[in-house]
Amino acid sequence: MITHELIERIEGEAVLDFKTDKSGHVQEASIRFLHFRGMEAILEGRNALDALVIAPRVCGICGHSHLIAAVRMLENLYASAGSAVKVTPKAHALREVTRVCELMQNHIKWLYLVMLHESGKLLGKEPQVALRALYASSQINQMSALFSGQWPHSSYAHPGGVTCDPTHIEVMQALKLLSDVERFIEKDVLGCKTENFEANMDVESLLLMEGDFGTLLRYFERLDLLDLGKSHGRFLVLGEDAHEITPNERSYAHIDFVSEDDSQTFAHGGKTYAKNALYRGKFYETGPLARAISTERSGVSALYQQYGDTALTRITARIDEVVSLIAYVRLLLTSLDFTESSFIPPVSIESISGKGVGVVEAPRGSLIHRATVEKGKIASYSIITPTQWNLGNGTYDSPGIAQKAMLGIESTAKASLIFRTFDVCSVCTTH
Amino acid sequence: MKPPSAITSTMPSNPAKLKMIWLQGITCNGNTHSFLNDPALETLLESSEFIHHPLLPCSMNLRQLVKKLPKSDILIFEGAYKADFERAGMRMEELLNTLASKAKHIIAMGSCASFGGIFKEADPEHISGILFDKEKESGPLKEMREKVITLSGCPAHPKWLSFVIEMMRLEKTIAVDEFRRPKELYAYLVHNGCLRNEYFEWKVDCDTFGTKEGCLFYDQGCQGPFTHGSCNKILWNEVSSKTRSGTPCVGCTEPTFPKRELFTTKTYMSIPAEMPLGVPKRSYLALAGAAKSFHIKRLEGKLIDDNA
Ligand code: SF4
Ligand code: SF4
Repeated sequence: MITHELIERIEGEAVLDFKTDKSGHVQEASIRFLHFRGMEAILEGRNALDALVIAPRVCGICGHSHLIAAVRMLENLYASAGSAVKVTPKAHALREVTRVCELMQNHIKWLYLVMLHESGKLLGKEPQVALRALYASSQINQMSALFSGQWPHSSYAHPGGVTCDPTHIEVMQALKLLSDVERFIEKDVLGCKTENFEANMDVESLLLMEGDFGTLLRYFERLDLLDLGKSHGRFLVLGEDAHEITPNERSYAHIDFVSEDDSQTFAHGGKTYAKNALYRGKFYETGPLARAISTERSGVSALYQQYGDTALTRITARIDEVVSLIAYVRLLLTSLDFTESSFIPPVSIESISGKGVGVVEAPRGSLIHRATVEKGKIASYSIITPTQWNLGNGTYDSPGIAQKAMLGIESTAKASLIFRTFDVCSVCTTH
Repeated sequence: MKPPSAITSTMPSNPAKLKMIWLQGITCNGNTHSFLNDPALETLLESSEFIHHPLLPCSMNLRQLVKKLPKSDILIFEGAYKADFERAGMRMEELLNTLASKAKHIIAMGSCASFGGIFKEADPEHISGILFDKEKESGPLKEMREKVITLSGCPAHPKWLSFVIEMMRLEKTIAVDEFRRPKELYAYLVHNGCLRNEYFEWKVDCDTFGTKEGCLFYDQGCQGPFTHGSCNKILWNEVSSKTRSGTPCVGCTEPTFPKRELFTTKTYMSIPAEMPLGVPKRSYLALAGAAKSFHIKRLEGKLIDDNA
């Protein structure tokens, strides 16, 4: 039987087309994204610096990652044109603070607005508005705005550094917000101290956790989904700490092995606007789980060893990432050196021609911006978003990452929930 | 005089919540996420609720919305309009028009919904705002213009939205400008309240990003002096704004957004091509000449000598 599910409560919508057997188990699943905006074409012909304003508008929830990808692309362009730009450690650290703030707010919204909501509904629980979680995510965005001016859609990172020149006051404010957020994570999300969470990451302890993360895992257990959702076990991180990891191998990843494939798009008689992103011609999973394994964060890595890339590991990786980022942001904030400059002006963009590439780890995984620039004008622009890796459509023999994870699941409703463990974003996927 | 029952019925002890529908056209979801930043969300949701919202719990999902096309007190539309753009299989033309005609008030949330915004660039002929197409009042809701409030901005500030919702709930009249933007929010220029204003007055420019000193108007393309918006009055995320973080205003509340060459100031014979709103070029020149002749030590040096 063929059924279609409209997937909402993601960034935009998607349609899943399922082929099921008599008992309702999923035999095939394909993913359709129907809303296309043509961001790359909008960028072409413009001054290359305009990308710092236009590119963030690819996505309302990870626009800042697009800003950072664009600025890295521009800095790479400068370097390849022989006019390398210097960025001070301070400017770099500030970009890191705002970049990872975006990851944290994203993961909290995913947990509360998407996962608890959708899995709760399957179990007949009426969800409430997650006000405390939204308040915490607004505090994280506030932390980011102290330096970037606003969230969403700031343009404060420029080739050569950042436009702001903060003082200790902003740092103190940010540290207070961070402590508030940490309290929320401990009290509401985990129900215990972060140290205890990180030290006891076995499935028995996780299922006993009192916070909302424990609730989500228990929902998944009741739905019999906890150890399902396995995909290919191939992982990719291209931004910070680039690695490729397969069941038998672990090595540094290089962007040269990345390709895009449009065989499933409307252009070729397919049924989606989204192109597939491939590494060495294959689908690789990108995102928090890939990052946890590539940086060898102990708890998640151990879970992965035992349970593989199941819903359990994938969900835990995203929450564990929030926890580990709190410590990272604190370290960044407390080690800023204010004697360094925020910005070192590069030569005029109008004197620059060549190619640039910028890669960043965005909330959902590796994000790539590439451009060809002629005398400061964008001749071509190409964006590969994280969700293109995870949510691509393969063939029956070689399904995409989320496609594979949905195979064999006992109902389309449950398969849709597995789909959401990848943190779906329609606006990014199609852009 | 009204009978007592009518009085009690206008002031029930547990007043009915305002019913809202949040509908998305061609969008990045930026306004949705901007709205979620409102720290007063809890208070807002005490007196209003969503029939449909793309991310918050609500009584109808998109499929049900499209099937029922319910009445609402406020229809909030985010994103740009294109007649044949579909949501849950229904063309926007039909979906927006029906929901709008059944709504008491309509809010164009963000610059795409207001004027076409960024996404209009992809298909200028077919994409517009819901009431305005850039400056022209020729959008699909032009017959219902009196119901529409424009909240331009990319994204619009969450407090601008909650202010308008509250005004609507209290049935207060909202004074609007030529683009139907609330004057209380858009009569200000971004320039008002900018911490660099003194540098602007004395024509001290900011020769590079990443400093506290200097005005971004002369070289970096700041559009603050001719962009309507209260970004420097009602701060972003409670704490900052583009110009406070040293980023030039890109003019995102105006129908002309997005312009080109956003980080350079166009000049004619070294005079900014676009004047501060309402300032004649000749007076500006006279004033600039005089201001420049002052050398104010305080404004020429660093604001804080030792940053360490
Ligand atoms: S107005 Fe800006 S934030 Fe809103 S949808 Fe358009 S581009 Fe996105
Ligand atoms: S930086 Fe912009 S908003 Fe601020 S004073 Fe200068 S022109 Fe005005």
